[in-house]
Amino acid sequence: MHMADALVTPVVAGTMYACSGAAMAYSIRKVRLENDARKIPVIGVMGAFVFAAQMINFSIPGTGSSGHLCGGMLLSAVLGPEAGFLAMIGVLLVQCLMFADGGLLALGCNIWNMAFYGCFIGAMVIWRQIMKRGISKRKIAAASVLGCMATLQLGAFSVTLETLASGVTELPFAAFAAVMQPIHLAIGLVEGLITAAVLCFIYEARPELLWGHTGWAGCGQKQGEEGKKGRFTYKGTVAALLAAAAVTGGLLSLAASSDPDGLEWSMERVAETSELEAEGRAYEMAGRVQETTAVLPDYAWKNSESAAGTAFSGIVGGAAVILLCVGCSFLFRFFRNRAAKNE
Amino acid sequence: MDKIKVENLCFAYPNGNQVLHNVSFRVTEGESVGLIGANGVGKSTLLKLLVGLADGYQGRVYVGGASVEKRNLAAVRKNAGYVFQDSDSQLFLSTVYEDVAFGPRNYGCCEEETERRTMEALRKVHLEDLRDRQIYRMSGGQKKLASLATVLSMEPEIMLLDEPSIALDPRNRRNLISVLNELSAAKVIASHDLDMIWDTCGRTILLFEGKIVRDGRTEDILRDRQLLEENGLELPLGLQRRGIDPD
Amino acid sequence: MNKLGRAIHNIHAADAGRQGRAGAVHPLARLLVALWYAVAVVSFGRYDIAGLSGMLPYLLIFGIWDGISVKDMAGRIFPVLVLTGIAGAANPFLDREVYWRIGQNGVTGGMISMATLMLKGIFCAASSYLLMWEIGMEGICYSLRCLHVPKEFVTALLLIYRYLIVLLKEAERMMQAYKLRAPGQRGIHIKAWGAFVGQLLLRSIDRAETVYESMLLRGYHGEFAGKYFRWEKGISISYVLLWGMAIACFRAVPVFELTGNLLQRI
Repeated sequence: MHMADALVTPVVAGTMYACSGAAMAYSIRKVRLENDARKIPVIGVMGAFVFAAQMINFSIPGTGSSGHLCGGMLLSAVLGPEAGFLAMIGVLLVQCLMFADGGLLALGCNIWNMAFYGCFIGAMVIWRQIMKRGISKRKIAAASVLGCMATLQLGAFSVTLETLASGVTELPFAAFAAVMQPIHLAIGLVEGLITAAVLCFIYEARPELLWGHTGWAGCGQKQGEEGKKGRFTYKGTVAALLAAAAVTGGLLSLAASSDPDGLEWSMERVAETSELEAEGRAYEMAGRVQETTAVLPDYAWKNSESAAGTAFSGIVGGAAVILLCVGCSFLFRFFRNRAAKNE
Repeated sequence: MDKIKVENLCFAYPNGNQVLHNVSFRVTEGESVGLIGANGVGKSTLLKLLVGLADGYQGRVYVGGASVEKRNLAAVRKNAGYVFQDSDSQLFLSTVYEDVAFGPRNYGCCEEETERRTMEALRKVHLEDLRDRQIYRMSGGQKKLASLATVLSMEPEIMLLDEPSIALDPRNRRNLISVLNELSAAKVIASHDLDMIWDTCGRTILLFEGKIVRDGRTEDILRDRQLLEENGLELPLGLQRRGIDPD
Repeated sequence: MNKLGRAIHNIHAADAGRQGRAGAVHPLARLLVALWYAVAVVSFGRYDIAGLSGMLPYLLIFGIWDGISVKDMAGRIFPVLVLTGIAGAANPFLDREVYWRIGQNGVTGGMISMATLMLKGIFCAASSYLLMWEIGMEGICYSLRCLHVPKEFVTALLLIYRYLIVLLKEAERMMQAYKLRAPGQRGIHIKAWGAFVGQLLLRSIDRAETVYESMLLRGYHGEFAGKYFRWEKGISISYVLLWGMAIACFRAVPVFELTGNLLQRI
C-alpha cells in the first residue's frame, strides 16, 4: 500500500504532510507526558522488529499464497497508540529511504494511510473499546481482526482519494475504489488473523506487555487528572480524531478539484440524494481557489498543436544538453579523482 | 582502598525468587576477580546490582566509595564500567567511533577530550583502524573489543564484565585476554570460561545458589576438582590437558 | 533470495564504501535539494513528458559524480516502475485521444500520461537513492535534528536504523531454522504464526531493555547526538542556491526545446 512519489502532486503531498505532522506532534507530546526514558529505546527496537516481522511470509492455508503482519496494530497493542505511531513513522521513513518503498514526498500520505489509521483508529478506538472490561484471548482476536480490516479499508480508501486528487490516473473514482476496497478487505482479514495469533501468544507468555493489561484504571486516573487541566480526555481525543479526518477529507477534495473526473462523480452522486447545494457551492469555490493557487498547470499541453512541432527540436536539444552534462560530469570526476590521488 | 565493598547483600526478584543470600566481598584497587558458578547462580544479577540496574536489595554495596543508591547512581556508573554479554545490545549507535564517544559526551566532555579518550580507548583494544566502521559489518570478536572500548573511554576505575569470552574464536579470545591483562582498572569478570579466568584473574569467587562458597586464589579454587564438581563446574580444560590434576 | 535476505543485502549495498563521501556540504542542504527536485518533478502536468524529461540532467550529473552503479540503482528502482505502471495501466484504455502520429501509429494521451507517470516514479526514486548514497541514514537524522524535529523521534529513528539489520538477521536465522525442519512450505504454517513472531517480539523487548540499560550506564539522559558531520557554511548555502535555481530553471523553461531551436538556427 506504499504510495510512490509519482502518484501525488505537491499539493496533496503537502496536505498529507501537514496532517501526519500534526498527529506526530500530538504523539510526541503524549509520549513526553509519560516521562519514561525507557520508552525511546523500546520504540526504536520495536520499530526495527516490526520491519523485520513484516518481511516474514505466513502461509495462508488452502490458498498457496502468503500474508504479512499488520505493523500499526501490533505496535500499538504493545506500546500504546502514540508510541506505536512514532515507531511506525520511523519504519516508514526507513522503508522509503533505504528500500524505495514509497517516496520522500509521499511519506506524509503513507504515514497517514498506514500508521495513523492503524495506531489511532485501530488501537485507540477499536482495541481500547473492546478491551474496556479486561483482556481475553477472544477479545484480542476480535480486536485484531476488526482493527486490521478497518485500518486497511480506511487506508485503501485514502490511497484512492489521494491518487485521484493528484489526477494521475484516468480511472473513475468508482472503478478505482471497486478495485482497491475488496482486495484490502481480504488482506485485512489475513493480516488481522496473523496479528491476532501473535498477540494471543504474547498474552499467554507475558500478558503485562499488552497495552491496557494493567487495566484502564491507571490510564483513566491519569486522564482524569489531565481532564481537569482540559487536555487529552478520551472523548476529546476521539472528537479530535474525527475532526482531523474531516479536515483531511476537506483538504483532499480541495486538492482534488483539479481532477474533474474523479471526485466530481462522487459529488454528483451525493448531490442527487441529499440537499448539498451549499456543499456544491463550497466545492465550486474550492475549485476557484485551486485554480488561482494551482501549483500544477492543468491540461496545458493536451491538444496543443505546437507540441508536435516542437518535438523535434526538443529531442535535438535534449540530446545536446544531456551530452554536455555527461561530458562535464565525467571531466569533473576525472580531475577530482586526480586531485585526490595527488594528495 | 576498596574499590568495591559488598556487605550482607541479599536480593530477590519481584516475583519472590531469591537470587542472592548474604553475599559479602571486597575488591581492592587494580585487583582482578573472577566470578564463577553454574548457569543461574546469580553472577549476572550480582554484577547488575553493582551498577544499580536492579532495585530493592538488602545489605550494603559501595562502588568507588559511593553507596549504590538512586542519588549516587551517576557517580557509581561513572566509576564502574559494565560490559554486557551481548555486544549488539551494548553497541547501539551505527559506527564504532560514535558509540565509543557516547559515554564521554554524555558525561560532559568537550569534543577534543571526547576524541582523545575515544582514540585512546580504541588504541587499547587495537581497533584504531576501524573507527568509522559500521557496527553491523564487524565480526563478533571485533564487536566484543569495541564494547570494551565503549566502557574504557569513560576511564573507569572498575570494570565489570559479563561473560566476555562467550562466542569468541580461540584467537579473538586470546586477544581479549591480553587486552584485559593490560588494563590497570580493577576488574570483576563473571564467566564459566574457567580457562579465561585462570589467565586473567588472580582471585576467584565461587558462587552456588546465590551464596559465596569459596573466595580465594584462583589457582587454589580452579585446581580443586571436587569443589568445582560439587558446584556444577568442571576443571579448566587447560588443566585437564596438562594433567595438573591433583588426583 | 527471500525477502529477508534481500533486505539485508540492500542495507549492505547502500552502506558499502560510503566513508569519506560526505564532503563539505551540509546533509540538510542535500536533503532540501532532493526534496525540491521531487517537488519539481511531480508538479509537471500529466501529459508534459517533454518538459519532464528536462529533469534528467540532474540525475545524470549526480550519478556520475558519485560514481553510482547503474545496475544497483536499477534494481532498487524497479519496484517503483512496476507500481507506477500498474497505477497508470488504465490510462491508455480510457484516454484514446490521438496526440502525436509516428508513421501509421497514433500516440494517445493515455499512453503519454502513463509514460509520464512512470518517468516521474523513476526520477523521484533515483533522486532519493542518490540522496541516501550521499548522506545515508545518519545524514537524514542529522538533518532532522537541524530542523528541530523532536529529539525523541530522532533518537528512536537512529535506533531503528541500528537494530534493523540485527533483527533482520535474527528473523532470517529463525526462518532458516524453520525451513530446514519444514521443507516445501511457502511460509510459516498457521500453527506457528503466533509463536514464531511472538518469540521474536519477546526477544526484541528484552533486547530493548538491555539497550536501555547500556545507555543508562553510559550517562544517557534523553537524547544522543548520532554522527557528527563536518560541513562548510558557504559551500552549503551556495549548493542549495545554485541547485535550487538550476532545478527551478529546468522546471520553468523548456531547456531542451530552446537549445534545440538554438542549434537548428545555427
